[in-house]
Amino acid sequence: MRSARARPGWFTRVFVHGVSGWVTLLTYLFMLVPIVILVAFAFNAGKSTVVWTGFSLGWFEKVWHNRNIARALHVSLVVALGSAALSTAIGALAAVAITRREFPGRDLLGAALAAPLVLPEIVLGVGLLVFMSFAGVPLGYGSMIVGHVLVSIPFATLIVRAAAASLDVRLEDAAADLGANEWQTFRLVTLPQLMPAIATAFLLSATLSFDNLVMSTFTSGVGTTTLPLRIYSMLKLGITPEINALGALMVVANVAILLLVMGRYLPLMLKPNRR
Amino acid sequence: MRRALRQRIEIGAMLAPSVLLLGVFVLVPLCVVAAYSFALRDPYGAVLPGFTLRNYADLFQGVYLLVFVNSFELAASTTALCLLIGYPVAYFIAFKAGRFAPALLLLLLIPFWINFLIRISAWVVLLGRGGLINRGLVGAGLVDAPVGMLGSYGATLVGMVYAFLPLTVFPVYAALQPIDRRLIEAGADLGAGPAETFLRITLPLSLPGVLAAALFVFVPSMGVFAIPVLLGGGKDIILGNLIVQLFLEFRNIPLGAAVSMLLLAFAGLGILLYMRALRRVEAMR
Amino acid sequence: MTRLTFALAASTLALAAAAPALAEDLRIFGWAGEMPDEVLQDFEAETGIAVTFDTFDSNESLIAKLDAGGSGYDLVNPSQYAVQILVNRGKLAELDHSRIETYDKIGPSFTQVSYDPGNKYSIPYVWGTTGLAYNKTCVDAPITGWKALFDEKYKGRVYMLDNMLAAYIAGLQVNGFDANTTDPAEIEKATETLIAQKPMLAGYNSTNFADLVSSGEACIVESWSSSVLQAIQDNPDVVYVLPEEGGTMWIDGYSILTDAPNPDAAYRFLSYILRPEVAAKTTELTQTATVVTESKALLPDALAKNPAVFPAESTIANADFILDLGDAMKLYQDGWTRVKAAQ
Repeated sequence: MRSARARPGWFTRVFVHGVSGWVTLLTYLFMLVPIVILVAFAFNAGKSTVVWTGFSLGWFEKVWHNRNIARALHVSLVVALGSAALSTAIGALAAVAITRREFPGRDLLGAALAAPLVLPEIVLGVGLLVFMSFAGVPLGYGSMIVGHVLVSIPFATLIVRAAAASLDVRLEDAAADLGANEWQTFRLVTLPQLMPAIATAFLLSATLSFDNLVMSTFTSGVGTTTLPLRIYSMLKLGITPEINALGALMVVANVAILLLVMGRYLPLMLKPNRR
Repeated sequence: MRRALRQRIEIGAMLAPSVLLLGVFVLVPLCVVAAYSFALRDPYGAVLPGFTLRNYADLFQGVYLLVFVNSFELAASTTALCLLIGYPVAYFIAFKAGRFAPALLLLLLIPFWINFLIRISAWVVLLGRGGLINRGLVGAGLVDAPVGMLGSYGATLVGMVYAFLPLTVFPVYAALQPIDRRLIEAGADLGAGPAETFLRITLPLSLPGVLAAALFVFVPSMGVFAIPVLLGGGKDIILGNLIVQLFLEFRNIPLGAAVSMLLLAFAGLGILLYMRALRRVEAMR
Repeated sequence: MTRLTFALAASTLALAAAAPALAEDLRIFGWAGEMPDEVLQDFEAETGIAVTFDTFDSNESLIAKLDAGGSGYDLVNPSQYAVQILVNRGKLAELDHSRIETYDKIGPSFTQVSYDPGNKYSIPYVWGTTGLAYNKTCVDAPITGWKALFDEKYKGRVYMLDNMLAAYIAGLQVNGFDANTTDPAEIEKATETLIAQKPMLAGYNSTNFADLVSSGEACIVESWSSSVLQAIQDNPDVVYVLPEEGGTMWIDGYSILTDAPNPDAAYRFLSYILRPEVAAKTTELTQTATVVTESKALLPDALAKNPAVFPAESTIANADFILDLGDAMKLYQDGWTRVKAAQ
């Protein structure tokens, strides 16, 4: 008997199946065109970010020699990587525990981990600031990293939870049946399957930290001005191509890092799939 | 018996860091904020110990309720738009992009690494009267004079979607990616059309991701303050602006704390609903 | 945790440790754009003291940061009314003028300021006015007063400063009141004026308003003199005006915190910036007037004679001077919230 699978007509294939494709294309244009324009004007000879006057690398020079930016970048990187690592580690552990096991206070912990999302960042920031000064802890990298972890941990946890919920439990049960303890099961069965989600969570956490403005305002101490804080004060002096140049450099750096990280996968990605 | 105990210890170890983190850095500051919401203030803004319900009473004046409504509207619109746009994108990356999926995801993050303020200022430039969009419109003869786009609600929405879209795509993708393709093929084999397969198999399975995405967007949207200021002209004050204003401009910390507590209570409700929904979905396995 | 995560964590720690240990340190918390980097670098070169200059964008955030205590800064840069507030909160140290070699360089009119007679707690440094700026190409006649900000003719092309006190300066003075008033009826009238203005406004903006008026996106913006004068250098179509209804004058100065880790370095910095040639450099680079009278002679003519940078005595006499309004602040705050929330 012929299979009952319906063969979609060309209309369905292009316009319905293709919907996700079209939306994706337009969305990526929407997301990336402003970036392209931004980068283009970084090479503008004049001071305008709207009127093209000629080609020049002058703004890049200016950014390169800007001490404040260099310092701020250093701070931002340290805080982003540190807080993302902590967030992902803590969040992933908690996410798996919550998804897999019953324990008292499970819902409460789940809600509590999402709580920083709900609290206005400024409240968290002020609370942290008061707490730190009460405890006599000087503001600096430590307070910033803690603040940023608070901001990103809900995202890390929820992302890993969403993935953990989709996993096939039978694999873990099988491992347990074969004699593996909790930790081994976690390390050898659960974790590898969760890697994409964990990597996603790490990237997102680092990104959120790198971009963060409010929490940084409150938890920054002397000399720990992050890049967003520095840029904010630059913006007050007018939007000049110097800011564009900074943005362009960030794109380049970003792409470079990604290539470094993804480098292993590149040959795999370029090889045509056998299906 | 031994196994159960060992399990308990191992779970405890997994949970310890998060509990510690939350306890010390969220719970305690939260208690401080809660205490402040009942406190008095001196004319200069310092918090005086004391107990009063006046701050909460103040909140229910018309002005602040209006701010809550505004925030809601903006958050709801943003979430709806982000989901509408973000889901198809996540779907495409998960199912259609094949080996390019990681590249596409990373591409989506590139704007994020350029720093929020620079991106928004790129939009300020784009949407301005002298910006490229207006130049194009005037040049193509579609309008007589440049259209004022900055300072409008639309501009704010554009900025919001731009900021929150990746936050939608990632969780939805994380939920879609592990879905067993054979389940979908099974649906097709049983005679379901693509729409039906989607609605009855894919969508339900991706719900945890959708719920997470909605949460990621809705709540922070209410706390945003830079976008309504830079793109929307600062004319519509939402909760984020209000709290910044109370804490920083007015130095009315007790009132600011009260607004925060209300926001917390209210959104806590949202999270509880989310948790319920999520557990029900997780229990379906 | 995967190996990758471990590696990242380790490199983070290494990066943090690599941050250079500083020699003698001076930490300043000041207004963005008022103290040029070059001056700071010159100071570092001369004294060997490493300067960290962090910025804020409103007096209120300065006060909030200091309130929490233990900020770690030596010097702060408050405006006149903020000095009063900080003194009341016990944050500022009494200054020992004998440790500031160049104290006598401060112009006589700045030594007996109403908010801090005798400069006990603050050294005034830069001053300016609050008024409005407009773009010549988009108005038909020169603008002279606040009333232009409320004129329907410019609907959609006007920005007010996103700052309660600044907005009320306009709202009160356009109604003929003093910008320092504590009279509830007057404040109420100003609130109504501001609410009525809202539909014709393009927005409230304290960030990049100079850019907006320079690019023609806005025709008229309420503005602080220091912020817009740099834009005027690049675009001569922009004009800054102290409105005929009065406008205000403000003074930003430097104060030493009571818990400053390095007051010696702070005093050396104060002595340094009051030197006429340094003050002249500051003015040249930021287009803002300083209190050092001798520095004016060292400036290029165009700058020294610029009425926007150095308004005439007669013009200033008409301007108000915002002082700490005490309890009346609440009235302003309620009004401002109503203005902002109005549809």
